[in-house]
Formats: sequence, structure tokens, C-alpha cells
Amino acid sequence: MLASIIASGLAVGAVYALIGVTYNTMFSASRVMSFTAGQLGMLGGVFGSLFVLRLGLPLVVGLVLMLVCCAIVGLVTEFVAVRPVLKSLDQHLYVLSTLALGLMIQQVVAVEWSTEPQAFPRVFGIGGGGILDEKFWLPMLTCAVTICALELLYRRTLTGMAFLAIAEDNFAARALGLPERNLRMASYALAGMIGGLAGFSGGQLLLAFVANGPLLNFYGFVPVALGGLGNNRGAIVGGFALGLFQQAANFLVGGIFSSVAVFMLFIVVLLAAPRGLFGVHLARRV
Amino acid sequence: MAISSESAAGAMQEKPLAGIGSWVFAGPLILIFCLALPVPFVTNDYWVLIATRAAIYWVLVGALNLVIGFAGQLAIGYVALLTLGAYTTSVLVAGNVSPPVPVFAALAIAGVAGAIFGVIVGLPALRLRTFYFAISTLGFATIITQIALAWQSVTGGGIGLPGPEMPAPFHTHAGFYFFCLAAAGLITWMTANIAHSRFGRGLIAVRDADVAAEATGIRKARLLMMIFVFTGASAAIAGGLFAALQTYITPDAFTFDLSVLFFISILIGGRGSILGPMLGTVILTLLPEFAAPLAAWSTFLYAVLLLVIVLVAPGGIAALLDFGNRRALQTNRTIVPKAALVGHLLTMDKAKSGIALRGVVLSFLGVRAIDGVDLDVEAGKIHGLIGPNGSGKTTILNVISGFYGPEAGSIALGGEALKPGDSESRASQGIARTFQTPRIVGEASVLQNVMIGGTIRGQSTFVESLLCLPRHRGDERTLRSEAMTALSAVGLESLADIRADRLQHSELRFMEIARAFMARPAFILLDEPAAGLSADETLRLGQFVKAISRQGTGVLLVEHHADLIFDICDYVTVLNLGRVLAQGTPAEIRVHKEVISAYLGG
Amino acid sequence: MPISAAEPLLDIHGLEAGYGKIAVLHDVDMTIGAGEVVTLLGPNGAGKTTLLRAISGLVSWNAGGVTFAGQNLAGIGPRETARRGLAHVIEGHRIFTNQTVTDNLLLAGYDVPRAERDARVDEALSYFPEIAAKRDDRGSTLSGGQQQMLAVAQGLVRQPKLLMLDEPSAGLSPVLVDRVLAVVTKLQKTGTAVLLVEQLIEKALAVADRVYALAQGKIVLQASTDEADLPRRLEHAYFDSEAA
Repeated sequence: MLASIIASGLAVGAVYALIGVTYNTMFSASRVMSFTAGQLGMLGGVFGSLFVLRLGLPLVVGLVLMLVCCAIVGLVTEFVAVRPVLKSLDQHLYVLSTLALGLMIQQVVAVEWSTEPQAFPRVFGIGGGGILDEKFWLPMLTCAVTICALELLYRRTLTGMAFLAIAEDNFAARALGLPERNLRMASYALAGMIGGLAGFSGGQLLLAFVANGPLLNFYGFVPVALGGLGNNRGAIVGGFALGLFQQAANFLVGGIFSSVAVFMLFIVVLLAAPRGLFGVHLARRV
Repeated sequence: MAISSESAAGAMQEKPLAGIGSWVFAGPLILIFCLALPVPFVTNDYWVLIATRAAIYWVLVGALNLVIGFAGQLAIGYVALLTLGAYTTSVLVAGNVSPPVPVFAALAIAGVAGAIFGVIVGLPALRLRTFYFAISTLGFATIITQIALAWQSVTGGGIGLPGPEMPAPFHTHAGFYFFCLAAAGLITWMTANIAHSRFGRGLIAVRDADVAAEATGIRKARLLMMIFVFTGASAAIAGGLFAALQTYITPDAFTFDLSVLFFISILIGGRGSILGPMLGTVILTLLPEFAAPLAAWSTFLYAVLLLVIVLVAPGGIAALLDFGNRRALQTNRTIVPKAALVGHLLTMDKAKSGIALRGVVLSFLGVRAIDGVDLDVEAGKIHGLIGPNGSGKTTILNVISGFYGPEAGSIALGGEALKPGDSESRASQGIARTFQTPRIVGEASVLQNVMIGGTIRGQSTFVESLLCLPRHRGDERTLRSEAMTALSAVGLESLADIRADRLQHSELRFMEIARAFMARPAFILLDEPAAGLSADETLRLGQFVKAISRQGTGVLLVEHHADLIFDICDYVTVLNLGRVLAQGTPAEIRVHKEVISAYLGG
Repeated sequence: MPISAAEPLLDIHGLEAGYGKIAVLHDVDMTIGAGEVVTLLGPNGAGKTTLLRAISGLVSWNAGGVTFAGQNLAGIGPRETARRGLAHVIEGHRIFTNQTVTDNLLLAGYDVPRAERDARVDEALSYFPEIAAKRDDRGSTLSGGQQQMLAVAQGLVRQPKLLMLDEPSAGLSPVLVDRVLAVVTKLQKTGTAVLLVEQLIEKALAVADRVYALAQGKIVLQASTDEADLPRRLEHAYFDSEAA
């Protein structure tokens, strides 16, 4: 039983962690938290199921197509919901515009795809259903690979370094002549792909289900709240911790109350440490 | 070309616009209710039910409008309270946990439960930033639904339970409709009263200019809690009515889509308005009926509407209907303050002796912004505070205002210590201020912005305002006329009803000064009031500030305009790198060697 | 160096600029010739930083014109002005603390062709041997003075025709200030023009050819640095700008 909790906890935790990274990537590029992060996770699963199962494409092709589509959704988010509101002084507008876009995505999928969970294809066909089944280690593997790839990107490529630069000091980056707008768009496309990967790799656990959208919006945000905005390491730790906590609660008090438990944890942590457990320094108000 | 000035006596009388203004406001609302009255007589039962549904939604949305539209708290998951109210009422009437309770009593109990839960849902708003709070309300909505599903013995779980039956004469469709319409009317009246009270203005101040709100003495936590109690109660009662309408409730009647509908109605209606969200609610409730084949797409359409509003018309329907603010303003406006009127405004008891800072130290990130400063601001004198960038001038103002507590040293007013860090009390203790960049409510009128300054002097309680009792009406009359006097004093009376964000920068600076007057301060702190002003305006500002000090009010003036400082100040303190470099009369400072070299960089 | 009779490198006329509703600069005229060092002085709040930002495109203008190397800069953002040879080192030595010295310089050369990037980085570091020794250290390990040197080095990676420095001496010890200003003199010898905004009047006048003074958004003084009685004239300009 313990092994099963750990396996499923780490697996679903990896998905949550990656959605947290999606939030962070969008935030680093624009100082905006977007309600489309969870929807991208949902789309990863839905596109995977659509391309591979419904359209019968080979898995690799389906994966690539999914990445492309999710990148486009990321770009659309930047262009439609973020860029126009960055210019305005009003703090709250981005919440509304990204919420609206997220809802639109969700409704299109609900109507055109299905409101019921749909099957997700096997990826490697390894495991046979026990705790070593691919549906458990695939998300973890994807999470590890993604983190390593991001590290390589940020440390070894000029574009990645430029992402870090606009995240640390947007104004100085602009003054230095960095193409801030293009970098922001690229960040959103990247965030789209990370979200899609999260949903794709977790597809066998979460299935291709439109309700995953708001679910991942919330559960993917908890690691961000715990780890501090923009802090990917915190999001990873937070994601795995959340996954384990949730599965343990599931086992102990049952499915319905486990979400209550998670939520209580979320509220308590936030009220105690509004900037996250690893704290992010906020600008002075006055 | 100056706007013609009114005589001092004329400035004291109440503008007739106030009376007309309330009819302009109430007219459309009354019209909508008049149109709603004949519905049962001219249509069939189906439409009566739809209209009842719209009325019930408005009972919730009208109150939620105060939370989202006025307070700016993005409570997206408010269907949680509808669910709570619906189940509480139904369970009490059905007698699952107690002997059956009569419907009206059950509704009242649901209201109380809603008030308590409303506070719980709202509490995170005091600590969390916008996005975090929005997500937390979503979490509440999920939890309530889960509990409804799980607690089978009480709520019937997935099977649900019957809603309450209304007693005669409300058991017919028409009868119930009129009952709900009356409830909707009551909510409209009450929220309109709050909107036109110091509480409503306090909410929009907290929403758009929270630092200024603190400085004017608005207590954010208390105000928000009152709103959450009221909204929670209304939403729960709406839930009870909803259960009666549905006649049978299950957990999946309370979908996220409903929350979205409530939320979006307010935003497409426009923040800070009553009419806009009401129209929004009616439109969004009726929309699926007229676009029947698109019923599956209704939430999608709501989302598209929201996106369009946010990008194209962030003010919503209310802004589109705001014809008053379409009138072009005269372009070459000049500000002509009337120093003579200052005497009418600042007639407070000036027994307080002075602000005294002793040995104040404050650091940010390890760097000493203020390094042991002694400062005295005397009543009736103008004390100038100058120094190069980063010398600590604005930080001193912020410490006096209570936004930061010093690490060491003391601040006292009239001999009594001022509590460090307690920014919300300063206004009642007699300290008012303006800000380096004007902190105002752009969407509100100039007059409303100035009235915000008088919040602490209002007498009526929240309930008295809610019910438009005499003390509330008296408050409004007094505040309005005092605000008009203040505006006349600074020369902006002709712009009283104009949206503040249409004003020029220099006019906003004077408006902030008018707002500061409203608290009848003993001391006024001015933070670079001349920045961005023309030479003429700076001269008039100088004369005006002198008039203020002649009334016995002490002024602490932070400025870069050396000539303004030397012209009007009685005493000058020069700061450099957080320490006092020199203190003395303007003449002494002007030739002080160290001061000159600090500015010129020795 | 005499101002050439030919077109100046930077030509500003009638510039009005500000932030939103707040007008900061009023009718500013200024010229800088190729290879000239011009210093811009003035009290706080005068608008010096705003002027530099308006030139490089970080702040938009309301009226007037700016021409650089014969081309109009209207509506052009900082990326494009940097490409055209106008480098702006902003105030506050804001380098990227989480990245190494070399990476900071590589970022400054984002638009430089890849083959040349490393060479340009080396060249910029050659002006500042103190930080060349710390190539692989993170920006957060540098002292304030070293960070300022790195910020100036960033400006040099593009081999600009005009380098604008906004208060490079702020928070630096006198020794380091002299180091940075010595670089300005060195740059002049290579033909790079410099616009230096400063608070330290004596040191700025020592290194510059011409001086402008800005107070309350207007140019109140314009002179060559070899003219007599400049300190007194500046004091007048600062404190009595209404009379001027």
C-alpha cells in the first residue's frame, strides 16, 4: 500500500510540479500569473489522445504535434491575454483576461471533444500495471528530463540566459537592447510546451479529461504558492510534496475529503507565509 | 484663460447637481423594476421562471458586486455560498437534522450561516494577492460541492433533496416571482445606499489607491469584513430562494459555470456601478434563452464577452452608458485656488504642539535610509525638507505617516508618542498628506475622491447606511458640501463631477490637497507638490500653502524646487545620505557651504 | 576637440518628454559631435535620466526630434537604437546578478554576430582588468564598484558611436570614480563620443569638452569646459533657475 501511495504520489506530483514550472515560466517573462497554465496541461492529454488514438497517428508524431499546438496556445495567451494588459496600470486585468481565455479553451474542448474522460494511449507499453508501470514513472522521467533541459537552456544558450535576464530585471534588459517582446513570446511558447508535456506524460493517470483544466490550474498552482513565484526548484519540491500528501490523504480519508485536505493545507500555508515557504522579495508599496 | 470664480459665500451652498444626480442614478434602476412588474401578466410561466431566476441571481450578484466591483476582490468561486444557502434552507425545511423549520426562519438561518462562511471565504483577501485569493475562492467552491456529495445522511449526496416550498401567496409562480423581485429590489436599494456612503467610497479607495486609503484613516480589514458578512448573508439567502425555484437540488446544479456567470456579470457591467452589473446579470441570464441552439456554448460566449470587455472596454457597460463623462473638457484650464476659503476648512482646535522626531533610524535591505534624524514641525509654520536624491526625504514622510516603523528613535505628536507602523490611525490623530505621485481613484469623480478624505469624520454605521437612515443622509449632505468647499478652495469646483482620470497632472495634485483638508488635519505633509507644475501654478501653490499655515496648520513640505522652498518656508532642514546636514531659515541655508556642495557634488 | 562644422552625431531639438501625464522635459536642445565628451549636470528631479531614456527610446516623446548619425530616432525603441550604435548605461549599476561576468557581456552582445561575440567581450574587458580577472564569477559576488565597471563594459560590447553614462559615480569610492572616468578619456581617444550625466561636478568638468546644465526640465546653461567661472554659474543655474 505504501509503495502504491509513493508511486502514484510522485507521479501525479511530477505533473503538478511541471504545471508549476509552466506558471513560473510565464511569470518570469511577464510578471503575470496565467489561468491558462492548467488548461495547457489538460490540452496535453487531450491532444495526445486525439492525435494518437482518434486520428491513429504514430506516437512520436502525435507528441510533436501536441507540442506544436501547445506552443501555439502559449503564444496566443501572450498575444491576446497578456500583451494588451501589460501596458495598462490596472493590476487585476491580467487575471480576467487569462481567466477568460482559459475558459474559452476549456469550453471548446468540452463541446468539441467530450465532457467525459477519454482514454489515453500507452507510450512504451512497459510495466504491466503494477507500481513499476510506465504510467507512474513516465511523468517522473519527463519531469527530470524537462528540468535538465531547462537548466541547459538557461545556462548554456544565449537565448536561455536572455530569459533569465528579463526575469531578473526587465528594465535593464530592455535598456541593454535585448529583444524583450520576442523573448516574452518565446517564453510563453516554451511554457505552453512544458504544460503540454505535463499533461501528455500524465495522460495515463489523469486521462484526457476536460475537467483536468481547472483541476491542474489549482493543483499546479499550489507548488508555486509553496515554493514562491518564479522559483522552479521550489515548485518541484512543492509539487512532489503535494502529490504525496494528496495520495496519502486519498488513502486515509477518501477521495472527496482529500481535496478538502489539500485545500486546507494550501490556505494555511499561504496565510502563514504569503510569499511562499522559500519567500520571494516583493517590491515596496510606498 | 481662468474659469470664472465663485464668490466665497457662493461656494458654501450645496450644488443643485446633487439632487438631480441621484435621480439620474436611480431613474434607470427604477425603470427596470417597472418593466419587470408586468412580466407575469404579459408572458407565460416559462418566462416568469426565467425572470425569477434573474431576480434570484441578482440578490447574490448585487451583493457580490460590493466585493468584486467595489472592493476589487476577485472572488471567483462564490457559487459556494449559493450552495451553502440552498442546502441549509432545504435541510432545515425538510427536517433532516432538526424538526422542520418554517421557510422564512430557515432562510434567516441560512443568511446567518452565509454571513459566517462569507467571512471565512473572505479572510484570505486580507493577506493574499489578487491571483492567490481568486484561486482560494475556487477551492472553497470545490470543497462545498464535495461536502454536499459526501454528507449523504444530511444532504442526500448525489441524489439530492427537495427544495423548500414557499407558503401562500408565494407558492404560485407569479407569487414567488414578486417575492424574489422584492428581494432583488431590496438588495438594489441597500447596495446603492452603500455605494453612496463613506463605506462604498472607502471600498473603491482600498481597491484603487490603498496607500492613500490608509493615510485617510480607512480601516481596510474592518471594512472588508463588513462587506463579506453582508454579501455572504445575501448570497446564502439567494441560495435558499434558488432551492425553492429549482424545487429539487443536487450538487451538480451548482456548477463552476454559475460562478462564472456571477463573476462576469459584474465585470461586464462595470466596476463601481449598480446599474451595470444589474444589466449584466439580466443579459447573461437571458442570453441562453434567445440563443437556444448555442446553449452549449453559453459559457464560451460569456468568456468571450469578458475578454472583449477587458481588452476593449474595461469600464464595462457602465462606462459605455456614462454620457456625462463624454463631454469635452476645456483644454486650457488653469487652476485658481482661493486662499480665502482655507479658513472655512481648517477651523479645528489647534492645541497640538508639534510633530517631533528624535533619533529616527530606518534601513532597507541593510542600507540606512534614515540615520539618526531629529526634526520638529511646529503648528502654523511651514517646514521645508530638501536634499539630494536618496537622502531620505520621502522616507521621513512615510515614517511620520506610519507606513514604516523606525528601528530606533521616536515620533511624537503634541507630546504623545505616535504608534510606529500604524498608518491607519494617523488621519484621526490629525496628520494628512499628499503623495509624490498622485494616488487617486481614477474611475470616481473628483468630488467622490475628495469626499474619501472625510471618511473618518462620518458618523453613521454600516447598518445605518445600508438602510439609508437619517444619520447616513446627514453624513452625505455634510461631506458633500464640505468637499465642494474644499474643491472651491483649490479652484477645481467646476470639475467636481468629472472622472478623476481625465484631469491633468497638476489638477490632480491640487485635488489631493483638497482631499487632505477633509480630515481637518493639524498637520499636512506635502510630498513634492510642485513636481510637474508650471511656474505660475507653483507660485499659486506657494501662496496657498502659506494660507494653510496661517490658519494654524503645520506644514512639512518635501520639495526639489529650491525657489519654492526659499520663498515660503519658515524653516528648512537639509538631508544628505539619511542624516541632517543643516537646519535653519531659508536665508541661512541658501548660503550654507556644505549644502551647496552636497547639491553640486563636492 | 573642436565641434566639426559637419552634422553633429546627436542632434536634439525642441524635445518634450515625460511619463504619462507628467511632463518632465521642456523644449530641450542639445548637440554632441563625433568623438566629443559632453557632460550633463543638474539638480535632482531636473530630468537628466529622463533625457537619456528619451534618447535611447525607453521613454516616448511628446514633441520635438532626435537625430542620430543622420537618422531620425522617432518611435524607435532601445533595441534598435543600440543596434545603430547608441549605448545607454542606465543608473544604478543594474547588471544581472545571477549570471557570470562573461554571460553579462555576452547578453550585451545579443545582436552581435556570433563569430565576433567573444572578441568583443574580450575587448570590453580589456578596459577593466579588475573584472577581467573575475570572468567566471557571478555578478552577485562583485562589489558595487565592480558592478558599475561591468555595466560600463556592457555598453562597450557594441562598439558604440555614442556611449551614454547615467551617474556612473553613484555610490563609488573616489578611487573607483577616477578609474571609470579614466575609461571615458580612453574612449574619447578611440573616437567614441560620450554623454556623461554626473553629480560630481569637478570631476565631470575635468574629463569633458562641453557642459550642459538641466534644471526643472529645461537647459539652463551651455558652455565649453574651458570657460571661466563655471562653478559659480552652475550654482546660479541650480538654485535660481526661475530667474534664469
